[in-house]
Order: sequence, then C-alpha cells, then structure tokens
Amino acid sequence: MTSVRLVKAAAAAVAVAAVVAAPYVLPSYVVSLLTLGFIAALLAGSVNLLAGQAGLVSLGHAGLAAAGAYGVAWATVQGLPLAAALGVAGALTLAVSVLYALTTMRTSGIVFLMITLALGITVFGLAVKLSSVTGGQNGLTGIRRPEPIGEWWQFYFFTAAVYGVCLLAMAALNRSPFGLTLRGVRESQSRMTSLGYSVRAVKFTAMVVSGGFAGLAGVLLAWNSEFMSPSAVSFPRSALAVVMVIVGGVGTLLGPLVGAGIVVATEYWLSSYVERWPTVLGVALILVVLYAPRGIVGGLEGLAGTLAQRPRRKEES
Amino acid sequence: MIPRSWQSRRTARLLLVVVALALAASACAPGEDGGGDQAGGSVKLGFISPVTGFVAALGTDMRRGWEMYWSQNGGKAGDTTVQTVFEDDTGDPDVALTKARRLVEQEQVQLVAGPILANTAYAVAGYVAGRGLPTVQMTGADDLTQRKFDPLVLRVGYTSSQSNFPAGQWAYEQGHREAVTICPDYAFGWESCGGFVSAFVEAGGKITKQVWHPLGTQDFSTYVSQARQANPDVVFVGSAGGPDAILFYKAWTGFGLKDKIPLIGNCCFADQVFLREVGDEALGLQSFTYWVEGRDSPVVQNFVKAYEQQHKEIPSLYAAGAYMMAQVVAEALKKTGGKIEGKAFIDAARQVSLSDSLYGALTFDDTNNVVGPVYRTQVARREDGTLWSVDEQTFPEVSQFGSEGKEAFLEHPVFSRDYTGQ
Repeated sequence: MTSVRLVKAAAAAVAVAAVVAAPYVLPSYVVSLLTLGFIAALLAGSVNLLAGQAGLVSLGHAGLAAAGAYGVAWATVQGLPLAAALGVAGALTLAVSVLYALTTMRTSGIVFLMITLALGITVFGLAVKLSSVTGGQNGLTGIRRPEPIGEWWQFYFFTAAVYGVCLLAMAALNRSPFGLTLRGVRESQSRMTSLGYSVRAVKFTAMVVSGGFAGLAGVLLAWNSEFMSPSAVSFPRSALAVVMVIVGGVGTLLGPLVGAGIVVATEYWLSSYVERWPTVLGVALILVVLYAPRGIVGGLEGLAGTLAQRPRRKEES
Repeated sequence: MIPRSWQSRRTARLLLVVVALALAASACAPGEDGGGDQAGGSVKLGFISPVTGFVAALGTDMRRGWEMYWSQNGGKAGDTTVQTVFEDDTGDPDVALTKARRLVEQEQVQLVAGPILANTAYAVAGYVAGRGLPTVQMTGADDLTQRKFDPLVLRVGYTSSQSNFPAGQWAYEQGHREAVTICPDYAFGWESCGGFVSAFVEAGGKITKQVWHPLGTQDFSTYVSQARQANPDVVFVGSAGGPDAILFYKAWTGFGLKDKIPLIGNCCFADQVFLREVGDEALGLQSFTYWVEGRDSPVVQNFVKAYEQQHKEIPSLYAAGAYMMAQVVAEALKKTGGKIEGKAFIDAARQVSLSDSLYGALTFDDTNNVVGPVYRTQVARREDGTLWSVDEQTFPEVSQFGSEGKEAFLEHPVFSRDYTGQ
C-alpha cells in the first residue's frame, strides 16, 4: 500500500512541477492553450460531478457557465469594482443553478438530459435576445482581467491554482458522505428513499454545487477571452463538455482533465493543420467508446488494477 | 486454436482502426506556401475566416478572393514579398480569438485580416489591436468604426446600415409613403433595417410595420402575411442571405406578391447563391449594394472572368470583399515601403484612394471606414444565360454616417430592435 501511495505522491509532485515550469519553457501561445484546457476541464469536471456520482448527464452546463461569465462580464463593463463583479457573477450563477435544480430534481436519465438541454438553449436564447445587457450576437467587449492576473502567465498560474483547488474539493466531495449519498441515488432511488433520504433534496444540492463549479469556469472563460458572446455558451459547448467527460472517463477524478486536454488540443492545435478536425474528434470518440468504454483514465485504472492483481493470482494458484 | 468468430472480430477491429487512421490522414490540409525571402523585404500576414462550421461557404469564398489578389500580383506588393498564414475560426469568437493569438504569438504575423462574422471580428480586432498590431476587417458591424472606433482597425467594406441609406431615400423619391421592413432579429438585421428606416423616415416616409424573423427561419408565410396585412407601398428586406433569403422569396412569390408590392433588397439578399436557386423568378429584383458582379468596368469584369475560370462560379460579395482587403493592404505596403508599424500603417492605408475598384471609386473617412458608391441593381440575364446583377443607378460617396454627419449620427445609439432611427 505504501509503495502505491509513494508512486501517487511522486506523480502528483511531477505534475505540479510541470504545471509550474510550463510558462518558463513553452511559448506563450501554448501556455494560453493550457489555460483554456484548465478552464474546459473545470467545466467538464462540474458535468462529471453529476454524471459520475449521481448518474445525471447534463447537456446544458454551458448555460450555467454563461451565468458566471455574463455576470462578471456585464459588471466589469458597467465599471463595478472586482468584488462587486464577482458578487454579481456569484448571485447570477446561484440563481440560474437553483432554477436548473428546481426543474430537474424530480427527473433522471433521458428526461434529465432533455430538460438540461432545453435549459441550456433557453439561456443561450436569452443571451442572444437581451442585447441591451448581453450585447446580443456582437457580444460584450472591454472586459479586463483584474490587475494582479492581467498578464498571460499570471492568469495561467491563477487558472491552474483555481483548478487545483477545485480538483481537491471535488475529490473531497466524492469521498464525503454526500458523495456516497449521490452514488446511492445513482444505484437505486427507491432504496435511498426507503432509507429515509430525500432524493430530490440530494439532487437539488448536487446541481447547485455543480453549478457553482460551472459558474467559476464561466468567470475564468470571460477573463480569458476578455470578450463574451453567446456562442461561448451555445449547445456545442455543453456537448463538448460531455464529450470530454466520456473520452476522459465518467466518474474518474482526472478524466475530465484528460478529456479536456484532448478536445482543446484537437480544436485549437490540430485544427491549424487539419481542416476536418471535427472528423478526427468524432473518430477518437468512437474509438474510445468501442475500446475503452470507461474512458481513457477509467481504462488505464482498469489496466493498472489487472496488472497489480496478476502476481497475486499466481500466488493463489 | 483461436475460435473463428473471435478471429474475424479481431480483424474487423483492426480494419476499423486502419480506416480511422486513414481518414485522419486524408483530412490533412494543404501545406502553406513557404514564401521565399528575397530582396525588398517580406511581410507575414494572418488571414482568419470560417472555412468549417455553419458559415463555411463565406469563409471559403473569402480565402479564394484573398489568394486571387496575391496570385495575380505575384505574391508581392511593390518590392515586398507577402506571405499569408491562413486560419479557420469555425464562426466562433473564442476559436477566432485563440487563432488570432496563434497568428500573433507563434507565427508572429504583422497584420491580421478578417474574420467575417461581427462577434468574431470584435473579438479578433480587440485582441490584435490590444497587442499594438493593425487589423483590416470586412465585417458589417456598425460600431467597429463608430462607437467602438480603434485607430488600429480599418474596415475595407461598408457598415451594415451604410448601403441602405440610399435605399430609404430612393424609395421615398419613387413616391412610396408607407413602408414595411423585414429583417432577421439580430445585430446585422437591426443595422440593415436601421439604415433604410432612418433614411426613409428622414425623407418624410412612414414605417407602418417592422417584421423581425429569427435567423434560420424555415417557414416565412406568417412573416409575409404580416407584411401583406399592413398593405404598404413598398417592402424592404434586409437579409443575411443564404437559405433565409431563398425561403423568404419563395413565400413572397407563393403569396402572389411579386408584381403587387414593390420589393427592395439589401446587399446580401439577391446574391449568387440566391440567384442559382431561385432562377428566373428573380429577374427584375431590385437591390441596393456595393458589390455588383455585372457592373460594366474592366476592373470588375477582369476579376469575374479570372475567378470564374478558376472556381467555375461568379464571385460572391465575400470573395470580392477579401480581394479588396488584399488590394488595400498592398497599396498601403507600397506607401510605407513594405513596413508595417501599427498605427502608421493604418494611417497610410486610410490615405489609399482608388479611382476604380471592385466597389468603384473609394476613399476612407477619418474613422477608418469606406466612403464609396452604393448601386441600385437589378437582376438580369448575362449573354450566356446566367443570372447576375447589373447596376441601374449609382449613389456616389455614401458615408457610414448617412446624410446626418458624424457628430449627429454618433449622438444616437447603435441601431437595434428598439431603435431604428425613427
């Protein structure tokens, strides 16, 4: 056991060192892609929280990110100070998350999927139509990051740190009694009800917590582009977040990060050389679903498990 | 021995992987031209347009127009060798922004041209200008050279409202007093209709109804019947082109309104895509635009001929627009001796004045927008039977501020659903 822990600790140390070293050795454009990757991973992580633990796949999480993004963008353009801007973003995210939670807490499976899809499209429609607030299709310009994280490398460190903290929070949540309750809801709602849990309350809380992470990803997104328009929160963004989770591995902690890395690399890096990058992404998704149904991280974990078990079997026989 | 079924399944899987890899490999884009450095210096330009996604057709035409200018001029502006790095923005502002970052930070281009959609253009122009580099644009979004003017951004093109001022004025002069407008319900539509409405109302006309339809409407019959019920003297349609324009016109003729109510289109209504689909029903249709493929000018006809030879179709507004961007960049490079130095380059580009271009006689105003002619066009038949637009009347030196003048124009907010200059 201790050797496994040691390996894990060493891997984590190497990962942190690599993240810290990146801006010093990589060109600024690549670092900006890494920043985007962390933001995408945070949004995918919020989807994974619901999908992996509670078995609720949301196709409308871009709408939750939109609340945070438009909150901070609008407030900044209005000239409000940073704390107030974050307050607006937080309040808006909370309001939209509660709305999502209230409308979906009685549902699961395909119904949950369809309602979140509809909610996401509703938010997109509002972003397009409320042009006096959101700037409509033209978007909001003139958003500036706060001074201490103004430079690209400062913002990279900030995003990486925020993602790291969120990752630890999600890991803690998964291990907590609440995480267990969520998995219980996934396995059998009727059994959870007979044990005395309110399934609705559990789903409500899970959606609001997940919405909080998504809203935070939205704030980072608006700060990253320093520009906000409806297409940043359109349906394809929600769908890509789900693709990241599936490719990386549903229910695994690092799956969304790996999935986000692959999707961002395909969308931004590969697309400069390959015109039909969506085809490549589609083929990759099909291959993962066929050969690693638990995603890349899930598949690797399974492989590691088998390898670790093999010697023992020999001993037994 | 391995069971047969298992063996064949394994082969099938292997086959699938091979097919997938082959697909991925075949999707490779053609390589970029490696512009050789020769005497006279060289510049590296970035060009962003959507060649995949829902507006891929526009972006592809743009790329062709841009490439055509440089290939006709040997890839040179005076003594300066010009190299272009192309990027695809998929019609998404965040992608556009990231691609602009790549062009500026990795490819180290000295200028960025494009993209086309208003939101992508705002995102790119904001970033590139923020880095102190010049951009040239052809998008219509009014405020880019008005309330959000930036000295590093030059628009080689017309604002969405600009070409529709003469339309409003002309409609009134024809004796029309009551008009109905039909425009898509987003910024481009608001600005297109705003141009017509403000000029028509200023002349003394009255707008009895403004119909707004969502972008991508399938069934226009409700919108057409709304327009008919108002019983106007004239209907103005400010379309973004594509399926919307075609489906609207099919509903319009289906209701039997073709010869009953006069119809005026904007720049992008009766374009080549529209004419190919609608055919003879479109003959005689009137529009107000700046790109007229049938205009009797050697500049235009040489371009149309060369473009048709290469791509087997009459060039669209987007091909012409990108060609114009390339031409203005080339003229400015000749003025600066091949140097691109931020604001100085845009200042030089603003001084470019063309006695005849694809758009006609062209100058720039002091907020970096085109002052040029607008044409009243009519759909006609070319000698070989192809439909195209020919100019009937020219309105010279139309400014982005209409007849109001800059100060008065900038007093009011940008055209929107709530404000169209009435």
